[in-house]
Amino acid sequence: MSVGTQSYQLVDYLEKLPGTTFRKLYQQPSTAFAIFRRMLPDLAKLFVQALLYAPSPLLLSQLDIWVTAAGKIQRDRALSILRSLHIVQISPPSKDRPQEIQLATNFKNSLRHALEGSSTHNSFGVPSTLPVDPTIDINFLDRYARKKWEDILHYVVNSVGGDSAGASSAGGAGSGPKASVRDLLLAGRLVERRNDTRSGVGITQAGFTFLLQEANAQVWTLLLLWLEAASHNPDLGMESVDMLSFLFMLASLELGRAYDTNALPVERRNMLPSLVDFGLIYIPRDTRQYFPTRLATTLTSTSSALRSLSAGFTAAAANAPGSAPGDVAALGPAPAATNETKGSIIIETNYRLYAYTSSPLQIAVLALFTQLNMRFAGMVTGRLTRDSIRRAISYGITADQIISYLAAHAHEEMIRTAVAKGTPVLPPTVVDQIRLWQLENERMHTTAGFLFKDFDSLEEYQALSSYAEEIGTLIWKSDRKQMFFVSKFEQIRDYLKSRKKVE
Amino acid sequence: MGPPLAAEPDPPWRCRVLIECEPAIKSIIVHLDSVNNDIIIEDLDEQHLVVKENMVHSLKQKLEDRLRETYRPEEPLADSD
Repeated sequence: MSVGTQSYQLVDYLEKLPGTTFRKLYQQPSTAFAIFRRMLPDLAKLFVQALLYAPSPLLLSQLDIWVTAAGKIQRDRALSILRSLHIVQISPPSKDRPQEIQLATNFKNSLRHALEGSSTHNSFGVPSTLPVDPTIDINFLDRYARKKWEDILHYVVNSVGGDSAGASSAGGAGSGPKASVRDLLLAGRLVERRNDTRSGVGITQAGFTFLLQEANAQVWTLLLLWLEAASHNPDLGMESVDMLSFLFMLASLELGRAYDTNALPVERRNMLPSLVDFGLIYIPRDTRQYFPTRLATTLTSTSSALRSLSAGFTAAAANAPGSAPGDVAALGPAPAATNETKGSIIIETNYRLYAYTSSPLQIAVLALFTQLNMRFAGMVTGRLTRDSIRRAISYGITADQIISYLAAHAHEEMIRTAVAKGTPVLPPTVVDQIRLWQLENERMHTTAGFLFKDFDSLEEYQALSSYAEEIGTLIWKSDRKQMFFVSKFEQIRDYLKSRKKVE
Repeated sequence: MGPPLAAEPDPPWRCRVLIECEPAIKSIIVHLDSVNNDIIIEDLDEQHLVVKENMVHSLKQKLEDRLRETYRPEEPLADSD
């Protein structure tokens, strides 16, 4: 991926928050629990569990009993994540005393409350005691959330320049998202104002990446834009820490159940309209109830930041275009949904493409990298050409994304033939050519990050660069020049600070 | 953020972009930079450069323009539709 397309993800967002914000966040048991459950690797969870009921800090070296000699890198990563999320405190290295580790107080107390069900924190929502409309069931909520979310995706897809059958015909599918949502998409530069499209906005590179993300990652992208917007606009009276806590609370609620709006503090009630616009909650008219939808209850159910891009892409594709309207199975970001979505695309060795679909969203996505020629009832035909692939790449889509999209959506006939003949599903010539077209276009590979140079001593260079390597942020280094390049600097800064203190 | 640290990256934690490319492409970038010296922060080695983040987009375009003057690969297959 080139610069500016890195997905704006929850972990990245959280890692940039100051420690005071974490202290506030961890006052909520639901937040501590969600972060513990979904954002930590297994080894980090093990460490947290070991520390949770420890009466006093443990020696850092005591954690090593769970770690084999080969697992040192995993241990360092686990500790680095725990530290960057301000879950643990580790005493600085010193000559007189061995390093000690303990859980941050708020995190520890909240996680204990969450596990024990102790105290009346209402952090997991208050169910409504009023009678519930029986027509509002899980099916209804899934249809509702799906419609809301597809409207948003359509808006982004439709902002593609009107040069293809798919993109132009995809209009009119739904009433479109609210102005507030459109403003967020603009502010987040997923789309930008442009004069050459009918809607007056055009998709950006980040917008394409957004489209190809799995549903859960898309939701977080939008929510983080929302948090950002609120923090720049204090008049709204919404505090981003509280918004984030509220989101974690929603994620802990039960799908299909009604919750009491009156039990929410007024600041949170003010957040409800935006969440309705995103499709995260449903509020029936004239009631004091709100229903979380699947978009909300699955917020923390996959740690999408840890997912590979292609898996995310597959899930997004399964979620968005492949399925018939009302096909609720495809709404959840669960991997199973991928398998349940029937493939529709046939691609031949001569680069011809046939897609058995009438979903405007899928046709619009295909039009991003295919030169579509004809459209029939229930089918479109087109070709992959050098220009169509190059155009896609110039928008920021990668060859691998296109290939995995095609593979994930291959028609069952393609799969059957491939299995019978023992050949790959996609014609290897086509796959290779798509990659070659990308290579031809990508003269350089870019990585955003930070350059470290001008060290006081060789030792300092070596200590820092090997630390960067251990935590997995090192991109490039030269021992001769004593310089290195990293993708993130926050942890190195903290590491430097802790070393300073010791000296 | 506290007092300046010894091994701070060039001005405080400024986001940069590392470019990895063939030596031939690198020499074009070096040449493009020589006009105003406003692109390259650090010339690392034969295949690596660090450049200003805000210049990447225009750099890509300039590079594309430069290459288009000299290089035009053929379509692998004529369309017979």
